Amino acid sequence: MKVSLGTSLVLHSLVLGLALVSLSAPASFDVADVEALPVDIVPVESITQTQQGDKKAPPSQKPSPKETKNQKIVDNAQNAGENNVDLKTPPTPTTKPQPTETTAAPKPVERPTPTPTPEQNQVKDIVKEETAPKPTEMAALPQPKPEITPPKPEPTPPKPEPTPPKPEAAKPTPAPLQSENTSETGELPQSVPAPASRPQPPKPEPPKEQAKPVEKPAEKPAETKPVTAKAAETAKTDNKATASVKPSDKKEGKQQETAKSSSSMASDFNADQIAALLNKQEASGGGAKRSTQVASRGDTKTIGTGLSSSEIDNVKGQIQGNWALVGGLTGVSEVRVKIRVQLDQSGNIVGEPEVTATGGPEGTRRAVEGSTRRALMKSAPLKNLPAAKYEGEKGWNVLVLNFDPSEFAL
Amino acid sequence: MEHVGLAAAASEVSLWSLFMQAGLVVKLVMIGLIGASVWTWAIVIDKYISFGKAKRQFDQFEQVFWSGQSLEELYRTLSERTNTGLAAIFVAAMREWKKSFERGARSPIGLQMRIDRAMDVTMSREAETYEARLGSLATIGSAGPFIGLFGTVIGIMTSFQAIAGSKSTNLAVVAPGIAEALLATAIGLVAAIPAVIAYNKFTADAGKLSGRMEGFADEFSAILSRQIDEKLQPRQAAQ
Repeated sequence: MKVSLGTSLVLHSLVLGLALVSLSAPASFDVADVEALPVDIVPVESITQTQQGDKKAPPSQKPSPKETKNQKIVDNAQNAGENNVDLKTPPTPTTKPQPTETTAAPKPVERPTPTPTPEQNQVKDIVKEETAPKPTEMAALPQPKPEITPPKPEPTPPKPEPTPPKPEAAKPTPAPLQSENTSETGELPQSVPAPASRPQPPKPEPPKEQAKPVEKPAEKPAETKPVTAKAAETAKTDNKATASVKPSDKKEGKQQETAKSSSSMASDFNADQIAALLNKQEASGGGAKRSTQVASRGDTKTIGTGLSSSEIDNVKGQIQGNWALVGGLTGVSEVRVKIRVQLDQSGNIVGEPEVTATGGPEGTRRAVEGSTRRALMKSAPLKNLPAAKYEGEKGWNVLVLNFDPSEFAL
Repeated sequence: MEHVGLAAAASEVSLWSLFMQAGLVVKLVMIGLIGASVWTWAIVIDKYISFGKAKRQFDQFEQVFWSGQSLEELYRTLSERTNTGLAAIFVAAMREWKKSFERGARSPIGLQMRIDRAMDVTMSREAETYEARLGSLATIGSAGPFIGLFGTVIGIMTSFQAIAGSKSTNLAVVAPGIAEALLATAIGLVAAIPAVIAYNKFTADAGKLSGRMEGFADEFSAILSRQIDEKLQPRQAAQ
């Protein structure tokens, strides 16, 4: 027995030791790091009773519509907005200016005469300076040129002849642009050679010039350039990209600009004039009530916020305090009184309050009506009405109160 | 923040830390149950060895007994050492036989009865040794789970009290206490399950052994009664 007890002990200590080592700590469950989801309980008032404001703004104590930039006050405006006329319709969204493509000017009559390029060095310098600031889309295009230029040595012969260094040489640049545009649209003013989206015509040019000269001077002699220019003209229909890039082989941007202006002058079609003639008035809606405050949370229009029952009780109490009911009336317990009174912002009664009593004998009814009206007039201006709840369909600009006999007097 | 806490809690749920965190009562229960498990296995090992040995001895003895060897000789060799099982029964019967027969037994029926008694006594003594400690196996098997459950209940009670004190029902707070309490039941089951299995097996084995002993005793008493008849009749005839 001792032996077996000893073996049992040894076995147990072995098993327990193994268990302590291997079963030490079970792998803990992975807890996904889920952020708590905030849940708002939305009261029905957020739909039934809303103030004008911004739907995305954080809720704030004081209701206020979206801040308006236009601070020109419009009298009696009810709807907040930027409009100059108070309209109930929501403001029409301003459409983005559509990028219209304007056609370039028709080709200049004069043929582009490439200037002789003896000063290659100058060209390079200029190129570097200009390229740095504006690496535009056009820059990518120049690559195809070198390929195309070599194959078209045919047109070259005519050009080398006219090569006299003239400012006109710059002209080729506008021409290629036109070629682009003309293919797409009809003929339009020359003044806007650049893509339609850019208002300033002169700017787009420099990048093109830069792009071309950069590669050309490095790779090819000056003589080849004129060739390319011509080739561009001929190849306009074939390759827009190549055409557009090629012509601008001239060295100095200034010369080209001047050349352009001269070309635009030549055409009698003025886009600016036409643009001026177009009606730029946009269809608009929206109110004209101004707001200087940051928008609070709200809806697009004010439905209004009703008085809470305790606020109504407060008003009733003010009236009851001034109520002196004549004694000795019969059937008072069957009379119900309804008050409908228009109030201004400070609680004063506007116009004649409507007091209607129903039920009970005729004389009693009249007496109750009279005393109610007196109590109401006496208690004007009504106090402690929340200013925020004045406006809207449910606001207290028109206050309707119902009294039953137990509430007639305090 | 929270999974840092969880990770820290999880690292403390190792077996040893669970044991160390437990309260005194639960610790005692666990220690007691581990002791019971040790005892169970000690009995199991012991019984396994002794039953195996007994079976081998039975086989050996039966081989010798039925080999046709003279019973006198067998008795002489066996009576010099302590015997168990069939050998013990044989020795007891032979001793009784010798005593009665050598002194001159008067009635064969009395002699037969005495021999049977002697064999019965020895048999029951042997059976007792076989069944010794099987009772404690039965106790551990039946009571182990309850003892473990007791530890669990106490542990859960104290951990609930602790939770009430900590005023947090976070699972990371609740879990270690309950796991620690459940450990007591686990140990109880670990001790009880082998005990129940071993008890069933060893009671069956002991039953088989005692059945074998009974069978031998019957056969031997039959042999002896034949011998008595053979030896007493000539005497009676002589008288």
